[in-house]
Amino acid sequence: MAIDASAMGRLAEGEVKGRSLWADARRRFFRNKAAVAGVVTLLLITLLALFGDALAQWSNEEIDFAVMGQAAQLGQPSIANGHYFGTDDLGRDLYSRTLQGTRISLMVGIVGSLIAVIVGTLYGAVSGYVGGRTDQIMMRIVDILLAVPFMFVVILLLVMFGRSLFMLFFGIGLMSWLNMARIVRGQTLSLKHKEYVEAAQATGVPTFTIILRHIVPNLVGIVAVYATLLVPEMILIESFISFLGLGVQEPLTSLGALISEGARTIYYGTTWQLLWPLAFFIATLFSFFFVGDGLRDALDPKDR
Amino acid sequence: MFSFVVKRLAVAVPTLLLLIVISFLLMHAAPGGPFTQERALPPQVLANLEAKYGLDQPLWRQLATYVWGIVAHFDFGPSFIYKDRTVNEIIAQGFPVTLTYGSVSFVVAVIVGVTLGVAAAIRHNSWLDYLAVGISIGAQVLPNFVMAPLLLLTFTWWLGWLPGGGWEDGQWQYMVMPVIALSTSYMASIARLTRASMLEVLTSNHIRTARAKGLPERHVILRHALKPALLPVLSYLGPAFVAMITGSVVVDFFFSTGGIGRAFVDSALNRDYAVMLGITILVGALTILFNLVVDILYGWIDPKIRY
Amino acid sequence: MAMLDIRNLSVRFDTPDGTVTAVNGVSLSLDRGETLGIVGESGSGKSQLAFAVMGLLAKNGRATGSVAFDGREILNAPPAVINPIRAQKIAMVFQDPMTSLNPYMRVSDQMAEVLVHHKGMSKAQALAECVRMLDAVKIPDAAGRVRLFPHEFSGGMRQRVMIAMSLLCRPELLIADEPTTALDVTVQAQIMTLLGDLRRDFGMATILITHDLGVVAGFCERVIVLYGGQIMEQSPTDPLFATPAHPYTRGLLGAIPRVDQEGEELSAIPGSPPNMTRPPKGCPFAPRCAHAGEDCLDHLDPLTEFAPGRFRACNRSLEELA
Repeated sequence: MAIDASAMGRLAEGEVKGRSLWADARRRFFRNKAAVAGVVTLLLITLLALFGDALAQWSNEEIDFAVMGQAAQLGQPSIANGHYFGTDDLGRDLYSRTLQGTRISLMVGIVGSLIAVIVGTLYGAVSGYVGGRTDQIMMRIVDILLAVPFMFVVILLLVMFGRSLFMLFFGIGLMSWLNMARIVRGQTLSLKHKEYVEAAQATGVPTFTIILRHIVPNLVGIVAVYATLLVPEMILIESFISFLGLGVQEPLTSLGALISEGARTIYYGTTWQLLWPLAFFIATLFSFFFVGDGLRDALDPKDR
Repeated sequence: MFSFVVKRLAVAVPTLLLLIVISFLLMHAAPGGPFTQERALPPQVLANLEAKYGLDQPLWRQLATYVWGIVAHFDFGPSFIYKDRTVNEIIAQGFPVTLTYGSVSFVVAVIVGVTLGVAAAIRHNSWLDYLAVGISIGAQVLPNFVMAPLLLLTFTWWLGWLPGGGWEDGQWQYMVMPVIALSTSYMASIARLTRASMLEVLTSNHIRTARAKGLPERHVILRHALKPALLPVLSYLGPAFVAMITGSVVVDFFFSTGGIGRAFVDSALNRDYAVMLGITILVGALTILFNLVVDILYGWIDPKIRY
Repeated sequence: MAMLDIRNLSVRFDTPDGTVTAVNGVSLSLDRGETLGIVGESGSGKSQLAFAVMGLLAKNGRATGSVAFDGREILNAPPAVINPIRAQKIAMVFQDPMTSLNPYMRVSDQMAEVLVHHKGMSKAQALAECVRMLDAVKIPDAAGRVRLFPHEFSGGMRQRVMIAMSLLCRPELLIADEPTTALDVTVQAQIMTLLGDLRRDFGMATILITHDLGVVAGFCERVIVLYGGQIMEQSPTDPLFATPAHPYTRGLLGAIPRVDQEGEELSAIPGSPPNMTRPPKGCPFAPRCAHAGEDCLDHLDPLTEFAPGRFRACNRSLEELA
């Protein structure tokens, strides 16, 4: 059959318009109401954490002597005395402290997640791609480290070397990269056998370039999902450490520290001390969960 | 299957030894020894103390003695703070408690979590599904140190149904709230994992074949879909177990149950490194054992792994 | 009365991109013991046709029309009606045996459960019957191999296991969906030979779904050519190959590379399969057809018999195509 030019013209009209995978994913993501709500909430919280201080009438360290010692009676939230969220037991403004706590918690979560992403991805990608003996050894190391009860080690470290912010990040960083490495390695293993990698190898592209140019971009999806889901985990870990009294030191505070303080004092009727930081905490975590889930559903084209 | 188990065991043992060595070295790397905190001791007293605890020996000797003590006699040595108590005694006091409510919490989390996840997956996009997902996410954002006081507030203070603390040899009233506080967030994670995994398995080809064979749906779910769906959940159980043991600190704090979680934190604050070390190693050993069991279960479900 | 009578079957899927019509008003019938081939490209709807009959459509699939088996309506039937029919009356063999067999169960267990469940046999009886069936599909050392897992078999052997599993209850109709596509050529031939032998020995009717005309030629008595979810041509096999009566069929046959003729360019049908989110009003093949006229985009004449047992759906007459 000869190919007819006018026929080709007709054919072109009926074809489905091509769409890149990213555009596909973006569309699916924005169709997910919960995920969009999560993004909006996170934006709001971040803005508040960064600029909310402008609205505060008290700093996070000042003690309001009018309230100190009588928090249960006089420390309720009120617009009048400028304590929008009320005060804590020492008379410090809860609004400012909550904002500061949010800043610290977000920082811990994001930095911890970033460490996990960078270290874990590189380690896992190299291990998975190189394969063979090296892979076995590298993964053995990960398995052994995973067997170590890390929380205990982190506590040990904090006790022995002091409660600095650096030690906190170091300890949390130690814990977080392992699972990321595992996941990335698994993904790399399946990517390794794809035809375009074979093609690159056949044309003599050096190994590290292949890893950087073919493997890593295809890992972005799964890494983004897990990184987003890792942030709330990090925040939870940090809050647990703060609960134990080993977290950030005064006058710095985190949402975890505020919550554990608040949890201890609800018996005295000062419920706002727990509720405000808890609200921010829950909103932040929920948002990260929804965004992470949304990313996963968007990038993984299986009908959920 | 047998050789698979043996191979896994063969890896577990050196892992444990490595753990002991690393923990030991970590302890000795800390700035200052266990005796240099509060008051400055006269050098003679310090030397005597160190001799008594064998701290004047060369490091490798101390390590060897320590490891041998554990391996041969299961002896973790004396406590550095409590003069007349050994680490073993301190641990033995709290360990059974933690083990009891820890295991119960674990079993509850797995059974409830898996059931919820499977139910949600089977009734995908129904009210049950949305409810299950909602509860799961909700439970995951409530850490156990928030749940515990909330539980106390509700059940002890307000309703007066349950006692506010203590252990009393593990009578059920004293276990209810600890178990709820400890198991909830893991139950939620397990439910979400199971649901996602089951949803994926249900779209696979071999499930279609099972249905094409005219088998009833319940048989298809339980006999064909459940085992592969549990694989990702199994992988999660190892970390979940460790997390639960760690979380027992919270339980010990709020419910005064007196488990090893409390002992660990106390020893941390008192710088009783011997106890800290002992507990860390014990928990590490438990974790390794647990991971071994998980690995074996994995091999049992997925025949391709065994060979 | 025909054993299987399909009337005006349509299958649609709800997708985020709109409603996709996979099968668009297909009617066909099959008698006892007959062998029918359904031929079409990927996306022609041939597999979905089979899934609709078996009630195995995906969750977002909707089937309309009528499917009668032995006079009984089975389309969209509830489990109580369709489950006894599956495996016992109508059995299905799928395309990829590695993923279609349960990798986590032993072959013995997967096979035996069919007999235990449908025929009430004991485990031991069922196992014995499974071994006999594995022998019938020529698996060497069936008794020794039956307790192995699917991944311990080679591709061709796995497909034999699938076929054996499907015949355990002696069904009256076997639907084979691309049974040889996932296998290499020499194994393909073995499997087709096996199917031929089994058809002779067990006497079941067969529907063979494939995109490979070569497979159809050696096996089927009758062929249906599907395009864009509709039947283009239906005919006994030999006359179809000898004198194809539809532009699409001719295109398909013309596209088969000939090893014995040198120097010819590969001839392909220009264009690509239609976008099934907007099923065409007229003939689905019209955009790609060299003989199409204005009327073809607007409507398609129904399937008409132009010779004994031969049907075509085309606006142009046979003379106009010559």
